[in-house]
Amino acid sequence: MDNAISMEGLRFNYGRLRVIDGVSLEIPRGISFGLLGSNGAGKTTLIRLMVGLLKPSGGSVLCLGKAPAPASARNIGYMPQLPSLYTELTVRQNIDFFARIYGMKDRRKRFERVDEIINLVELLPKRNVTVNQLSGGMKQRVSMACAIVHKPPLLFLDEPTVGLDPELRAAFWEYFGNLTRTGTTLIISSHTMDDAAHCEQLVFMREGKIIAKGAPAELREATGKPDASLEDAFLFFIRRREANNNV
Amino acid sequence: MYNMLTIAQRTIIQLSRDRRTLALIIIVPLVISSLIGVSLPSKEILNQTLPAILAMLVLFFGFLLSGIAFLRERSQGTRERLMASPVSRTDILVGYLLGFLIFAVAQTMILFFYAVYVLQASFNGSLWQIILFQILIGILAVCLGIFISAFAKNEFQMVQFIPLIIVPQVFVCGLLFPVSTMPEYLQWLAKFLPLTYAVDGIRAMMLQGEGLLDIGKEIGVLAAYAIGLMILAGISLRRGNAT
Repeated sequence: MDNAISMEGLRFNYGRLRVIDGVSLEIPRGISFGLLGSNGAGKTTLIRLMVGLLKPSGGSVLCLGKAPAPASARNIGYMPQLPSLYTELTVRQNIDFFARIYGMKDRRKRFERVDEIINLVELLPKRNVTVNQLSGGMKQRVSMACAIVHKPPLLFLDEPTVGLDPELRAAFWEYFGNLTRTGTTLIISSHTMDDAAHCEQLVFMREGKIIAKGAPAELREATGKPDASLEDAFLFFIRRREANNNV
Repeated sequence: MYNMLTIAQRTIIQLSRDRRTLALIIIVPLVISSLIGVSLPSKEILNQTLPAILAMLVLFFGFLLSGIAFLRERSQGTRERLMASPVSRTDILVGYLLGFLIFAVAQTMILFFYAVYVLQASFNGSLWQIILFQILIGILAVCLGIFISAFAKNEFQMVQFIPLIIVPQVFVCGLLFPVSTMPEYLQWLAKFLPLTYAVDGIRAMMLQGEGLLDIGKEIGVLAAYAIGLMILAGISLRRGNAT
């Protein structure tokens, strides 16, 4: 079976600045895959290249065996970093709009699915409230609902847990786990090691490059310290790269 | 078609929910029309000036409304979300055009009927043909607003385009002074401005009583401008440009 994502020598320049620098990566289907790195490492740009919102300056990327959007758009879900919702519309109207543009034309089935998703993100009492009246955490939940309403086999989540309280963050990860159990591939960008620990596979990114790849346990073991955390592992790979660059 | 209508419907609901904007869409044209009606010294001057002012106001309000609303789609991040979905650029542009058009047409109707029934301006020609021509100006205004919004990063910048895009047209289109009395280079420039054709067309209809078939050149130029601007707006919406 094809990988969810295959990229080869992917590059992206923003003016003279090289934001993504020759990234090659294979992401298998049905796992949660984390892109970890500090701000400016190129995580969001890499996601936007995979989704098809940006055109690569070089190299190639395949999304479920096809070119990115528009070719693969129907099979992907995308939750941007900001909630990106129509603030004058209600929770229900926002989710219904995205269900419609993803091809859910049957009114009855669509309404059932929209209600199911609203229930899932625990916003049933707020379903007829306009988005501009919701808290930040609630907006994030609506944003996620819009990304998953059409049951995409591949889901991109750009910093989905930013600004969420610990309780809601735990609820999000529980839901992400349920999605991967049903075969959905999740590609999640984050700069927190808490999020990293939940992913089955990870890459550490630095200055547009991948500096390490593996399961969280493998990355921790690579440091050679038995009690190393993922944060220690991240710093270990950064220092190793800097040392290699200085040689 | 389904996606276009979905986007159009959403645009209409969204603008209708914004009650302050909705009120401004209705009240501002009425205030401006009233000021014009009261400030002009005689009924004859009002009748002579009104058609050109109507064309200018339809272009101005349509441009402002669609430009800012389309820009908001980008600034609140929903455009990026749309570009990641299966909708095409045509779906987005035509969907928006249809959605905004309802409001642009409503504004046009308010302006026109207020001028005729409240300000007691008289006109020749067929009422429905005049309205159809104004709708064409409204379509052009929406296309212009969508296209220009690609060059603005925020609402403040969008408003700055008014002195650049609309005001020069008002001075050169023949609204204030006949184009024939202007320097030759301005007469040449006037030939390239859509408001010139909008003003010429609506004057021909409201003052000389001509019909749509008599102003084929003006209709053709305005339609060509609208189509050209939509194509340019489509190019600015390419997925690789989604930022």
